[in-house]
Amino acid sequence: MANTHMLELEKVEAGYGQFRVLHGVDMHVDKGEIVALVGPNGAGKTTTLRTILGMTTLYSGDIRYQGRSITKLPTHKRVELGITMVPEGRGLFNYLTVYENLLAGAYTKEAWEKKEETLEWVFQLFPRLKERKNQIAGTLSGGEAQMLAIGRALMSRPKILLMDEPSLGLAPIIVLEVFEIVKKLRDEGVTILLVEQHVKHSLEISDRAYVMEMGRIVMQGPAKELLQSEELKKAYLAL
Amino acid sequence: MIDPALITNNLIDGVLMGLLYSLVALGLSLVFGLMDIINFAHGDFVMIAAYTTWVIAMMLYVDPSVTAIITVPLFFVIGLAIYKIIIEPILGAEPLIQIAVTVGLGYVLQNLALAYFRAGPRSFPAPWFNYSIQIGPIGIAVSKLIAAAVSLASLFIINYMLVNTKFGLAVRATSANREVAPLMGINVRKVFAITFGLGIALTALGAALYMMWGQTNPYLGQSFSLLSWVIVAMGGLGGVMGVLYSGLIVGVLEALGSTFVSPSARLAVVYLAFFFILWFRPRGLFGRR
Ligand SMILES: Nc1ncnc2c1ncn2[C@@H]1O[C@H](COP(=O)(O)OP(=O)(O)OP(=O)(O)O)[C@@H](O)[C@H]1O
Ligand SMILES: [Mg+2]
Repeated sequence: MANTHMLELEKVEAGYGQFRVLHGVDMHVDKGEIVALVGPNGAGKTTTLRTILGMTTLYSGDIRYQGRSITKLPTHKRVELGITMVPEGRGLFNYLTVYENLLAGAYTKEAWEKKEETLEWVFQLFPRLKERKNQIAGTLSGGEAQMLAIGRALMSRPKILLMDEPSLGLAPIIVLEVFEIVKKLRDEGVTILLVEQHVKHSLEISDRAYVMEMGRIVMQGPAKELLQSEELKKAYLAL
Repeated sequence: MIDPALITNNLIDGVLMGLLYSLVALGLSLVFGLMDIINFAHGDFVMIAAYTTWVIAMMLYVDPSVTAIITVPLFFVIGLAIYKIIIEPILGAEPLIQIAVTVGLGYVLQNLALAYFRAGPRSFPAPWFNYSIQIGPIGIAVSKLIAAAVSLASLFIINYMLVNTKFGLAVRATSANREVAPLMGINVRKVFAITFGLGIALTALGAALYMMWGQTNPYLGQSFSLLSWVIVAMGGLGGVMGVLYSGLIVGVLEALGSTFVSPSARLAVVYLAFFFILWFRPRGLFGRR
């Protein structure tokens, strides 16, 4: 096939039990991109990310990773293939230490073998985590906790990283820091699918973007173009 | 006036038994922390393992403690099977369903034992360690000393495993956040199965130790279940150490009840003290969250 996308969703219908949330979502992410997924609360952004990792009920449609359908694989197998997520609300292992959280992130066989080396990389990205290595994760500040959630996801050596509102609940300065990190990760070769409330910031660092409303993609295109779109400006940028 | 030597003897007995109770309760605690399921049949596995130990000990004519070499791996496999067939289908089900299923399992095990072995107690007639170390007026039963030492060592080994191995990390991470653990690449179902199997294997070890001096009957599981629940509730989610300390407390309470009230009221005393403790510490004495 001429152009195999790194990750591709085709007519995805998914939800929770009987409760259908996604109504035919088509989207894709190519290697090396930052792709933003934005939209109002309850649109189905988190559900989209969870569906990519097999954490929801998929009714129909297909999800392909590097050209291969992954819909039959359990979550941990998808992680082994190189997909992982920084979950909404961070989802840290609260009474484990920072170091143990990071180690847990390297659980797959491949990542475990490289864990020392990856750890050094993560500590270089987040020097604060190194200082707090032996602190209990539940006692970290909001910003530190988010760094740990990102660092932990990186420990699995993902080829594509799904990030669900990494800036949620953080002080403005830390929010900027998080966006810097996202850019830096892409520069180091990690492909990123980013769900964000800070629409303007995320479009500024993204290559392409999708806008989701009520479980459907309602707008898509290069991020720069979407930033200029009157429709989007009115709805999300309050301009 | 109660003889101080008797009190000392009973206290020592309480500490030794407490360690054995901790060993038995540990599996219940690990499974509860991991899967939020209370296995109401937990003590009945001790009972079935005690019969299995008795049968093997009689066949080979060796001390029951030796049968652990066979029963521990056997019950690990039985635990895996029970997990697959009975526990996995009820994960995430209504608590009432989970209770009904595991309580039912306990009754099935009791009825099996009743049908097969009848109600009469069984014990091994020629135990190897049927003597005690005498220090003045104080006597320590060697079989119980061995049981306590093996229990303590097992608790420390499992604690070491939880803290220092990759599988232990998976257990602790999954206990901390079941939703997120798969995102690390952890196969949560596999962690559940192995931990459940381990918990059942520990009941078999406990049973082999207990049968060095004890006798089994179809209802043996009830007191082990009750003591285990008390230990887990009191230990909170304080890990292996929480279980160890509450097991010791329960053992000592039982000994005190037996000394100062009546041997037949020992469980009632444990319960009263338990209610009293939960009154002040609803999350248990050693709880972490
Ligand atoms: N575990 C769940 N079970 C049932 N319904 C759910 C569950 N999680 C989310 N939903 C529902 O699915 C819909 C989409 O939710 P989702 O979390 O995907 O939205 P979102 O776009 O991420 O919103 P937000 O910006 O608030 O995070 C909502 O109506 C929500 O109530
Ligand atoms: Mg969301």
